[in-house]
Amino acid sequence: MVKVTLDGRPLELEDGVTIFAAALREGIKIPHLCYHPAFPPEGSCRMCLVEIEGSPKLELSCSTAVRDGMKILTASPRVVEARRQVLELLLSEHPLDCPICDKAGECRLQEYYERYGRFEGRFAEAREKREKKLRIGKNLILDRERCVLCTRCVRFLERITGTAELGVFRRGIRSEVGLFENETVDNNYAGNLVDLCPVGAITDGDFRFTSRTWFLEEKASICPHCGRGCAVRLDIHPGFPRVPDTRKVHRIRPRENPAVNGYWICDRGRYQYAYLGEGRATRILLANSGRETVWSWEKALIILVEKIKGLKAAGKLSRLSVILTTAMSNEELFLARRIFKEGLKPGSVYFVDPEDGEADGFLMTAERTANRRGARELGFDLEPPDLDRLSRASDILLIFSPFLAERYAVSGLQRSFQGIAAKYLFTTRRSAVDALVDIILPVCFVPEKSGSLTNCDGVTQRFSRAMEPPGDSCPEWRVLSDLGRELGMRGAEFESPSAESIFGELVRKFPFFG
Amino acid sequence: MDERAVTRFWESENLAGIGVYLAGGGYQAAREALHHMEPAAVLGEVRKAQLRGRGGAGFPAGVKWGFVPASVDKPKYLCVNADEGEPGTFKDRAIMSRNPHLLIEGIILASFAVGVHSSYIYIRGEYEALAGRLETAVREAYEAGFLGGRVFGTDFDLDVTVHLGAGAYICGEETALLESLEGKPGLPRLKPPFPATVGLFGCPTVINNVETLANIPWIIRNGADWFLRQGLPGDGGTRLFSVSGMVRKPGVYELPLGTSLRTLIYDHAGGLPEGKKLKAVIPGGLSSPILTAGEIDVRMDFDSLAEAGSMLGSAAVIVIDDRTPIFEVLKATAGFFAHESCGQCTPCRLGTSWIRKIVQRMSEGERRGTDLETIESAARAMRGKTLCPMGDAAALPILAIISKFKGELAEGLTPSPAR
Amino acid sequence: MIPDMSAEILKKAEAVMARYPHKRAALLPILHLIQKEAGCISPGAERWVAGLLGIKPVRVREMVTFYTLFRREPAGAHVIQACSNLSCTLQGAPDLIDYIGAKLGIRPGETSADGKFTLLAVECLGNCDQAPCMMIDMEYHGRLTREKIDALLGGMGAGDG
Repeated sequence: MVKVTLDGRPLELEDGVTIFAAALREGIKIPHLCYHPAFPPEGSCRMCLVEIEGSPKLELSCSTAVRDGMKILTASPRVVEARRQVLELLLSEHPLDCPICDKAGECRLQEYYERYGRFEGRFAEAREKREKKLRIGKNLILDRERCVLCTRCVRFLERITGTAELGVFRRGIRSEVGLFENETVDNNYAGNLVDLCPVGAITDGDFRFTSRTWFLEEKASICPHCGRGCAVRLDIHPGFPRVPDTRKVHRIRPRENPAVNGYWICDRGRYQYAYLGEGRATRILLANSGRETVWSWEKALIILVEKIKGLKAAGKLSRLSVILTTAMSNEELFLARRIFKEGLKPGSVYFVDPEDGEADGFLMTAERTANRRGARELGFDLEPPDLDRLSRASDILLIFSPFLAERYAVSGLQRSFQGIAAKYLFTTRRSAVDALVDIILPVCFVPEKSGSLTNCDGVTQRFSRAMEPPGDSCPEWRVLSDLGRELGMRGAEFESPSAESIFGELVRKFPFFG
Repeated sequence: MDERAVTRFWESENLAGIGVYLAGGGYQAAREALHHMEPAAVLGEVRKAQLRGRGGAGFPAGVKWGFVPASVDKPKYLCVNADEGEPGTFKDRAIMSRNPHLLIEGIILASFAVGVHSSYIYIRGEYEALAGRLETAVREAYEAGFLGGRVFGTDFDLDVTVHLGAGAYICGEETALLESLEGKPGLPRLKPPFPATVGLFGCPTVINNVETLANIPWIIRNGADWFLRQGLPGDGGTRLFSVSGMVRKPGVYELPLGTSLRTLIYDHAGGLPEGKKLKAVIPGGLSSPILTAGEIDVRMDFDSLAEAGSMLGSAAVIVIDDRTPIFEVLKATAGFFAHESCGQCTPCRLGTSWIRKIVQRMSEGERRGTDLETIESAARAMRGKTLCPMGDAAALPILAIISKFKGELAEGLTPSPAR
Repeated sequence: MIPDMSAEILKKAEAVMARYPHKRAALLPILHLIQKEAGCISPGAERWVAGLLGIKPVRVREMVTFYTLFRREPAGAHVIQACSNLSCTLQGAPDLIDYIGAKLGIRPGETSADGKFTLLAVECLGNCDQAPCMMIDMEYHGRLTREKIDALLGGMGAGDG
């Protein structure tokens, strides 16, 4: 352990901790551009210089380890002057693009200028003219005039994806980031470069010009698109009052989670958010010989409970079949287990999930739902239904999976469902299955509800509702807990249900999730 | 001066050939050392001789060698810095051209002392023709059994490879040199770690300048005490001064450390030509702060020049006459450093370019009252904040030129508008 | 192997690679070989070297663009690199550079219309006691005067039809 003072505060730290890290722990955010905790220090931006008593030169906090007896000043007059000087130099060749730059509002140069600058730059020469709209990837646009040559993008592609597409060409003021010939950055992690870029040099073609960052509310959630369960942030525009249809998700960015995804997410997860607003089931629809009638949840629930009670009275609970999906949360699967495996002990519980894809060797798993591990830990064996057997063995079919149309031919489903008296579809999306069931009940995607998911490595992450679901959509956990309660099930998860109380019960019975 | 070392015998014809060099006693020191001395003894002698690096930084060679860990499971390397990019400097070129075997002998001794079996001579790309002749000398040494397996018949082996650079002053900085040798752009590395522990290919490495190594055979041949006597306390030996600019006899002059600049210019380099008067002198290459005509009694050694606010650097003396506008010196300096900036770190990449842009505009006739002040401000922004010493090399000379010749430079500048 | 890379270059490249414990260190020497042979370094050559050394072509492009002596475009038959640094400037280099430029009808950075000469203004060549100095085709020529330049360039075909 070493003893140092940091801005007068005495601290005791482990050997090898950098001044930067030590300061961060104390809530002191030293300005930096090239440094990123995922990479070894680069030392080229020179923004993070600090003063060490007794040292004639200012030292880099990102790469200098604390030593016993060090007296560190992170904001002395010398340090502040140095920051101002480095800023003035950076701004000397930086175009005044703020009015048209996507990064405005989350740009380091803006932030540091506000904190340390607000001076009138003295550069009055002609600036270097460079390419401003170089498309370097499917969704990546490089503006070389804005680039501060922090090389984070280059280093990310070298160290994290190992694809090393970008390089730094030429030297001195002519240095520029670029690609070889017609190559592009087209790996599954390209979108991270946009987050990494401290300024607006690399911008996202998907996000470009769609919203100002200060209109967006950042909400935490979990990516539902594969078994990794990367921690994400949704940037949601709350909508302008009196302007219809302006409330939407504008982009998805990673949220740091060292146990799951580190600092990154893959492009597949990053760019898939349109699904939240497209083709949603939003009303409870009673399919009535071709015409759709809208019902309320109360009415639908009454019907459903009656039907199941009728089956129970006739001693035919074995003819209740349920199709779930591992896209459901732990809470929902737990309730499903409680009701359908412990309470009602029906015929069968099946799972229909999207088809596995290819794992990409980094974050993206082959499985394309977020909770396969959770489902397994809850004791489900994830068996997909055989349509003929389903048809012969079922009088009531409850479908909680929206994936039937992509795994089974509609004609096959139609044939099968003709043999089933009552079919209820709990789904987020309209699909070809809608015409084959009796009642369509709209439920929620992960960002629209609270709960928990367990990823491929067994890490359980809890998430809270990030956005309101559309129309009458209801989280599956609420549907299931209401259903269970009406069917006479006991326990806090049915009697006083909330995502928290259900999780509490879950952990009591399955400590694995705790 | 009769106690020349490095340049002794330079008048001999074909000294570059191994035969002539041997006949004059060449390779004797190395042969004796490899047969009769321990490596630690060779290192000790060099340390005792207080041989400071002759490239520019002046770091004591024996101390640098001592930083290499004694035993390690990685190979050790010796890189010869023959990049000689400091404007005004040509002494290493002269050594390699006139007496390449002296350098090779120095390489053998240094490698023996440190435990190196593989040495690379990093020679700047512009010296391509010279590199060919250097390779011939290396081949001669191999053929004579002075390189390769069983050097001088001992069980010491040493390979020497000539590696041609490709036009980048920054590759004279030792970590940039390593990067370049490894096949990458010459971008200096963060230190620590230092090359002595993590150098070429991640292995312990010593980097020495050509002239530094050329002194080693003389130290071993004549002893550390003799070497110390040629120089100053704490600073042994002679220096090879490259003298150019407005002098009658430009060339390389080997003189004791501590010789005055006046003596060097007037007694050795013949003074200025007819009709030219001295205005200024750059004492240690373009990276060194300029001296006025009134400052030339300064002694040419590390400490004296440092005290005078300048530096010995590569001991390259550029003499400037009174018919040369000092603005030309400013322009050459600004242009050079902007061109050679590697671009890696913010202050140098942007500072050198800004200064060049202002100076370029001034040279095209448009001058503003704030120009000198702005240049100074940009130079100060670079000073002490860059990743490698080139930031100071770019900043300090500019500050000195402006500070010492403000009157002349300020002529013709439009007055700044009242603020 | 790409069409314009001779077997001889490959042989020389392999000999160079043998002198280094890591292949990539042979990159500078091999680029020199290629430029000597082909006059410049083309994207095809960059790909070839990259494949030979097991690195990505973008790494080769970084090298080619970082170092002043490498060319990506062909130059004239003779490349004149005239020092424009201080010691040479003190001895009249700017005037000589202008003289050459006027003689060949080009500015520094350009190639003469007949393709015979490329003129480049470069930094210190390390030949300051022979100022003013220039390299022509990597050979040094010092203490230059207009007359010497006339003789040198004339011998290389300047002014011929």
